[in-house]
Amino acid sequence: MATLHQQIAEKFLAKLADTKCVDAEKIEKLRALLADSKKLKADEFVKVFSQSEGGDIK
Amino acid sequence: MIKLESVHIEEVRGIRKLDLDIRKEKFAISGPNGSGKSGVIDAIEFGLTGQMGRLTGRGTKGLSVSEHGPHVDTAKFPDAAFVELRIYLPELGKSATITRKVSSPKKPKIVPADSDVKAALAEIADHPEITLSRREILRFILVEPTKRSEEIQSLLKLDEIGQTRSALNTAQNRLQSAHAAATAQVQSHRNALQLHLQISTLGSEELLEAVNRRRKVLELPAILELATDTKLDAGLSTTAKPSEFNKESALRDVKSLAEAEKGFPDLAKTEAAGILADLARMETDPSLLAAFQQRSFIEKGLSLVDGPECPLCDTPWPSAEHLREHLKVKLSKSEEAGKLQESLLKNGTAIIEKVIRVTGLLTPVLKLAQGQGDKDFAELLGLWKADLDVLKTKLATVDKITGLKNRLEAGWLKVPEALPKSLRAFTETLNGKPDQSATLDAQTFLTTAQIRLGDYRQGMRNSKAADVARTAAKAAYDTYCAVLEDELNALYDEVQKDFSTFYRVINEDDESKFTAKFTPSEGSLGLDVNFYERGLFPPAAYHSEGHQDGMGVCLYLALMKRLFGNRFTFSLLDDVVMSVDAGHRYQFCKLLKTHFPDTQFIITTHDRLWAEQMKSAGLVTAKTSIAFHGWTIDSGPLVESNKEIWDEIVAALEKGKVEAAAAALRRHLEYVSRLLADQLGASPQYRADGNYELGEMLPSVLKRMKALWGKAADVAQSWGNDADKETAGKRKAFLSACNAAMSIEQWAVNKAVHYNSWANFGKNDFKPVVSAFKELLDCFRCNGCDSWIYVTPRISPESLRCACSGINFNLKPKSK
Repeated sequence: MATLHQQIAEKFLAKLADTKCVDAEKIEKLRALLADSKKLKADEFVKVFSQSEGGDIK
Repeated sequence: MIKLESVHIEEVRGIRKLDLDIRKEKFAISGPNGSGKSGVIDAIEFGLTGQMGRLTGRGTKGLSVSEHGPHVDTAKFPDAAFVELRIYLPELGKSATITRKVSSPKKPKIVPADSDVKAALAEIADHPEITLSRREILRFILVEPTKRSEEIQSLLKLDEIGQTRSALNTAQNRLQSAHAAATAQVQSHRNALQLHLQISTLGSEELLEAVNRRRKVLELPAILELATDTKLDAGLSTTAKPSEFNKESALRDVKSLAEAEKGFPDLAKTEAAGILADLARMETDPSLLAAFQQRSFIEKGLSLVDGPECPLCDTPWPSAEHLREHLKVKLSKSEEAGKLQESLLKNGTAIIEKVIRVTGLLTPVLKLAQGQGDKDFAELLGLWKADLDVLKTKLATVDKITGLKNRLEAGWLKVPEALPKSLRAFTETLNGKPDQSATLDAQTFLTTAQIRLGDYRQGMRNSKAADVARTAAKAAYDTYCAVLEDELNALYDEVQKDFSTFYRVINEDDESKFTAKFTPSEGSLGLDVNFYERGLFPPAAYHSEGHQDGMGVCLYLALMKRLFGNRFTFSLLDDVVMSVDAGHRYQFCKLLKTHFPDTQFIITTHDRLWAEQMKSAGLVTAKTSIAFHGWTIDSGPLVESNKEIWDEIVAALEKGKVEAAAAALRRHLEYVSRLLADQLGASPQYRADGNYELGEMLPSVLKRMKALWGKAADVAQSWGNDADKETAGKRKAFLSACNAAMSIEQWAVNKAVHYNSWANFGKNDFKPVVSAFKELLDCFRCNGCDSWIYVTPRISPESLRCACSGINFNLKPKSK
């Protein structure tokens, strides 16, 4: 039986993917983070969310 | 999960040496207070988890498994204290043995050391809540909602989820601040670019128009489209590239800084005042200050806990769980400090944005000063910029903001006093420069424009990236909170239903319509229960202590069911239903039997009546229960059904300890009398308190046994079974003979056994008493299997039997 933590993680990732605010690559990185049993730190999330390209003058 | 097959305990708590045959069944341990029941629970819990709940938690400061786990006489030899458990793992279909020494609680010996067995045992070790003791039972019921929420979330291991939510929140706050800083930086670059280009709006059309005007002067082709790789100075000779100094642009940069300087005193005044107000609050409330100062420290410590030693100060704790609990309590006290922290960071971020703006203005001037060889001015601006860069860093963390009080009071920007004068002087120097030729002006214009466009583009990329990161982090946090709320609500709803169902089973006679309602809100969990359909009230409002005890156990069972589902196969219930009355205890047995048929409960009780109720309700049997009749520091628990009781009595007599021998005999007779009265259906005079004396119990058992043998002989005759008739007759006669012999010794029995008046007895006086009782009790046993004789069924018995059926007499006569 999955722990509550795992249940929440699965639903969270599915719902987050639906928001389109986070790309598939980041979702997978979050999945890997949440699958890890250790306690998660803010720095780890910052690292995942910070990987993106910038823009330019339009 | 697991089931216990057998237990071997040596030198743990109050136990010297004890073996229990648990048989994967529900098991009851009874005995008076101080007889060692909880010691068994401690030992089993230790064997499974490496912890002893009684040595942790509130009121246990100074206690530890390593020091207080071993028997008091072997405290200095913890190697001698160990528990060996034979367990069965239903999911794996395997049995295993786990041996754990008090001297090395984290290194149990597991045989077989298969990885799946180890994983299953590691899971159990992570669940000390398999033990529910009396002192813990009401922690779910009679606590304020915030505490209940903590207790239940802790039981359900929700702290891991809380940690994830907290980390996501911190991440989104940080990325929010980073985005604000990046936006401010873009604005700064944008201003610098616009200032240089002398355009009011920054669009590609305006930008190209300004640039192409200079390119035309240089007879360079016009740039028709601004692409991401467009170079504004494309075509300029790379070998003879002009300096970046453009007089007109330089004058505008200096002027821009000079004009901004007038508004410096009022810059971010409100935010600075906000920080100062928060700092003042902390100063006037020292406890807040302490909580505030400890907050990040404790958070850090909490995240680092990986054993019973404090990671911050190396202080040893009984367990990591104990330490975490201590830190969490401290952390909860700093909630207000947390809000203060948010406020400080918000104002800090706002000031950072202003710092970036100012730095954006002074940096071009600094470069000009350096380029023009104005060392003093360059040094002044360089030092100021370095100072502002440090300030920017300090404003990003709460700890460092607290050290900025003096600076914020004195004017956070710390504008160099000589700035206005130096700016004026530098302006004069620039004005004194010869006008640049149109060609040189165009060249330097394009070079500087390209540099500033590059800065702006990089800032844009940074800002866009920060925005994407911020948006993702916010979406992640919001989504996680929404999912968490939905899941917790569903969980509480499920637990609430199970809790109500279980409680109704126990109280179906008077509260068959009982309902309960959880009210979850952020950080708390309200609980109201229905009182005789008069409405919902807090559990302690009207319900009795016994009912509250029942609620505690029911909520625990509901939570365990939610936590483990069908894998809830093992639990230790240490004296948890003492306040529940007799009628409801039968119902409690029904609950455990019907709703938890596959769960092995090890139940202790000091109440002999309750122990017997468990048997008569069919929850446990004689084989799956044990009774302690006392405890000594030398022997540990004294087991009532101990077959070696006669050896113990003889040994005591040999040592001249008549007193001890008589006490052991009396306890054994009490135990056997009660057991036989139950198994044979004897009829002592009923006592509501169940406190039967040996003097009334034993005669009724003798009378019943005689009657049963007589009936067995009569029934055998009715069926023409001469052999059984003869055997039953002989048994009856032998019983009478033994009883007569015992009566001969009655003078001694009365004094020594009944009235504890053994002062004048010698061992030779007492030996005949012992022999007489031994012979008498042997009349109630099977010679083959050594078990006690019983009737079945209990009501209107049809046969008289023993466990091996070596004794099996018909009690149902042939109908005439």
